[in-house]
Amino acid sequence: MEIRPILSALLRNRTGALLVGLQVAITLAVIANAFFIIAGRVERIRRPTGVDSPNLIFAKSQGYAPDYEHAAALATDLALLKGLPGVVAVTPTGQVPLSGGSSINTYQTSPDPKAPEFPGFYFEVNADFIDAYGLRLVAGRAFRPEEFVAVPANNDLPPVMIVTETMARTLLGQGPAVGKRLYDDTGKSAEIVGVVSDLQGSLYRDTRPGPSDVLFYPRGGLGNTWMYAVRVRPGESDRLLPEIERLLNASGHGRAIDWVRTHDWFLARTFRSDRRMVVFLSTLVILMTAVTALGIVGLATFQVNARRKQIGTRRALGARRTDIVRYFLVENGMLGAGGVVIGALLAYGASSWLTSAFQMPPLPPLYVLGSALALLALGQLAVLWPARRAGAIEPAVATRTV
Amino acid sequence: MLDMQHITKVYRTDLVETHALRDFNLAVAEGEFVAVTGPSGSGKTTFLNIAGLLESADGGHYRLDGDDVGALDDDARAGIRNQKIGFIFQGFNLIPDLDVFDNVDVPLRYRGFPARARRARIERSLELVGLAARMQHLPSQLSGGQQQRVAIARAIAGEPRFLLADEPTGNLDSLMARQIMDLLGEINRQGTTIILVTHDPELARRAHRNIHVMDGEVTDLKPFAARAGAAVA
Amino acid sequence: MLGYYLRLAWLSLRRTPAITLLMIGAIALGIGATTTTLTVYHRMSTNPIARRNEVLRAVTLDSWSPDQPWDRDHPELPPSEVTYRDAVAIAAGAPAARIVPMRKTSLTAEPGGGRPPFLVIARLATRDFFPMFDVPFAYGTGWDARADRNAEPVVVLSKETNGKLFGGENSVGRVLKLDGREYRVVGVLADWQPTPKFYDLNNGAYDTPEDIFLPFGLGAALDLQPGGNVNCWKSEALAGVHDLFGSNCTWHQLWAELRTPAEVERFQAWIDGYVVEQKKLGRFPRKLNNRLYRPDEWLARHEVVGLDSRVLLLVSFAFLAVCVLNVVGLLLSRFLGAAGSCAIRRALGASRGEIFRQHLVEVGLVGALAGLGGLAIGALGLKALEQLYSSYDRLTQLDLTMTVAAIALAVLAGVLAGLYPAWRICRVQPASYLKTQ
Repeated sequence: MEIRPILSALLRNRTGALLVGLQVAITLAVIANAFFIIAGRVERIRRPTGVDSPNLIFAKSQGYAPDYEHAAALATDLALLKGLPGVVAVTPTGQVPLSGGSSINTYQTSPDPKAPEFPGFYFEVNADFIDAYGLRLVAGRAFRPEEFVAVPANNDLPPVMIVTETMARTLLGQGPAVGKRLYDDTGKSAEIVGVVSDLQGSLYRDTRPGPSDVLFYPRGGLGNTWMYAVRVRPGESDRLLPEIERLLNASGHGRAIDWVRTHDWFLARTFRSDRRMVVFLSTLVILMTAVTALGIVGLATFQVNARRKQIGTRRALGARRTDIVRYFLVENGMLGAGGVVIGALLAYGASSWLTSAFQMPPLPPLYVLGSALALLALGQLAVLWPARRAGAIEPAVATRTV
Repeated sequence: MLDMQHITKVYRTDLVETHALRDFNLAVAEGEFVAVTGPSGSGKTTFLNIAGLLESADGGHYRLDGDDVGALDDDARAGIRNQKIGFIFQGFNLIPDLDVFDNVDVPLRYRGFPARARRARIERSLELVGLAARMQHLPSQLSGGQQQRVAIARAIAGEPRFLLADEPTGNLDSLMARQIMDLLGEINRQGTTIILVTHDPELARRAHRNIHVMDGEVTDLKPFAARAGAAVA
Repeated sequence: MLGYYLRLAWLSLRRTPAITLLMIGAIALGIGATTTTLTVYHRMSTNPIARRNEVLRAVTLDSWSPDQPWDRDHPELPPSEVTYRDAVAIAAGAPAARIVPMRKTSLTAEPGGGRPPFLVIARLATRDFFPMFDVPFAYGTGWDARADRNAEPVVVLSKETNGKLFGGENSVGRVLKLDGREYRVVGVLADWQPTPKFYDLNNGAYDTPEDIFLPFGLGAALDLQPGGNVNCWKSEALAGVHDLFGSNCTWHQLWAELRTPAEVERFQAWIDGYVVEQKKLGRFPRKLNNRLYRPDEWLARHEVVGLDSRVLLLVSFAFLAVCVLNVVGLLLSRFLGAAGSCAIRRALGASRGEIFRQHLVEVGLVGALAGLGGLAIGALGLKALEQLYSSYDRLTQLDLTMTVAAIALAVLAGVLAGLYPAWRICRVQPASYLKTQ
């Protein structure tokens, strides 16, 4: 099969070729970038939280009465929740992982105020937090119950802290973390007594702190607002959620229970915009590809009809069906190749705009290559039906006048 | 009525030049019925296209109804086609989507006649060709002869000064062909000038005058005096 | 002739229903996608206080750390919020038609009658908040100057909260128990949903406004806890909410109403002078950088529109472009397929212009039908988005502007797609089609 006559036929029908080529180009530019964005979002949604999310329930309590006693309320709440059958472990907590809210502080590994600062998410918890969140102790020890201070006098660093593996690496590299001290910029310090498995602190961002740079303080919070993380046995969370709400509401103490929610509720809310982007972009990508494919079918059908006589003549002169079919496949392949080249340029153009305007990472070539191959294959598939119809044209058409 | 002087027409492609008409001269008087004959490729169709203002000549002068129409722009030519010329084609050239009434309506629409005048003219011309009862039919529901009669009704509905007929019976059997020729004769008797392009000498004989075209030129003029006399009488 | 052309268009479209549906479907899909994303974008980028854009200013002061800028990505920007002490000092001293310091807090409302207490989000602000932002009242008014001065326990309820607490009736004069104290209702708002919530874009720019509004002074008098962001750069001894008031943490919003350029200038000079004075006390370690933002500049600074909706907008327009290119191809083959009919019309006296207009009417009709289809698809798309946006459903309502825009866009797209094919078909040489049929 010769390329040159096909090319010259294409050049003679420039408009049709241009239309299909442009559609392929725009589609490629969009889907390459869309796939890249979708892949990033899916990765973010799927990334392990590090905690036992399906079996975690959080509750928020806000003391309001003038006679509200935080320490007393905390003690009764913990006792009530721990006594509930089906509950594995409970800790008060200042943060819900991946909920969007966060407390961030900066830490140094030496008392020198000029030493480099490392930001980290800090969670205020009690001695049961490893079990309550479903973490794993990697090195050192857990907090001792007596280290927990329900109502701290100020927000200085507590005497002891536990860090995640990632936080330990961020601060101290590969060296052992247990026994090391961390300092704030006023020179106050705390000792790292344990290292736990990673969990995601707050939302993932490209800036510091990294998603798993998390530290744990053994203490309650400064205000009258507090939360509990309640880990339940697998499958029990639907049953226990209303139970916990009822229990806490009934315990009095001059406070209101703001909400009781599963961790999955927070995850759904946090990743809502990512999910939306994935759904919407996928829909647009599918529709766009379908419309482009239909465009290819339409143009090829038109070409076949316009060239019936010519095709019949070719057949009469001895062309086999497969020759005719192959003619259209090669023609479409050449169109697609042209479109894909322009599309790749457009794709990188769009990507560089995203990079400069929104700090998106640059588009990896693999996405352009993969999308281009997929579009070329789709083009061949789309043109197959009209091409087979062309192959079915009888040689006798050549001799008919109408 | 129609006066062509030294008309030339050349078709060019990248490789070849075809002289379709070279120094073509023809004058047709008001009320004449002229047949233009000639073999395939002689320039008959080119003559028809130029006479009907579908194409313009490369050289020479063409006066229609006293006006020089050679240098008119596209819109003006369309206007003249619409008002002064009626076309009848071998392939009928009815618009397949439109029924008989709407097909006859087409030139009247572009003429801008009010609805009532259009309807009157359409009915009158369909009456004349004997198809008044088929107004709601689509072309595909009619026989070839009927289709050609619709085309004739369409050509005369605007009461043009002359009709250009290009092998009007070429796609019809002989009985139908005779009916169509009778109809054209009748229209001519009512005063419309007719130029009939055909390769068939049988048909040409029914005209007043027969013009033979060969290699883009008029070769000889054979008046059919006897027949013409009979027709005038 | 328009009626005639419309009839011809209808006949022509009916002749090839599959291609017609394909064309209408393609444009409708493109329009539907564009309408959906445009609606969200339009809602997100609308300035809800555009009417007062020229006179309102968000006030920012660079009180941040000497070691690092407030925003690493935009080191030239001062923090978006101010400290309590600066908010109060500027509100008390700066020359302006109105200055409103404000912040968010939360309290527990006790509805009584055996119903459990529930949390309400409150905005602490001075009385000028209401006239400054054109806040509409259903009953009563804001509080008076004395209530601000003495931090009196009065409250203005949102329409929703009034519905929840008092069944929506005129509750002015009624008493509401908040955090164990009694507050007198002085006003109830009419429906007020500024989107985005321009006056405080932190923690949910598209959230509904606060449930209740309280005199600003109550915040300090009762040590009401912060309800929004508290950003600190300095290690200071903070033993509780009370310590925040004297700290260098930023947690208040500050807005001023300045009616002339001269007033703006005078105000800027005053706050600059204020910061210079404060520098003498060892505060404001960074270089003088106090900025005033009009509401539109404020929305732009907070990038409330964001990456996603811009990308979706761009993608949907690219999709529309592909659909239009597709339809150009379909129209071209359709029109050229009907070249014979056009040649006949030309022979019978139609001018090029008439053929051109006839086909433009046809594509216009396709566009109009596609516009209606696109609206339906857009409405469906927004319904689907509503599921995905949940609480943000105010972003996903198709309004009249968008409806008109969608149809106009569809007709435009249709005509644009048809322009070239119609031009091609009107250039058809009649002679070449009449002989060989």
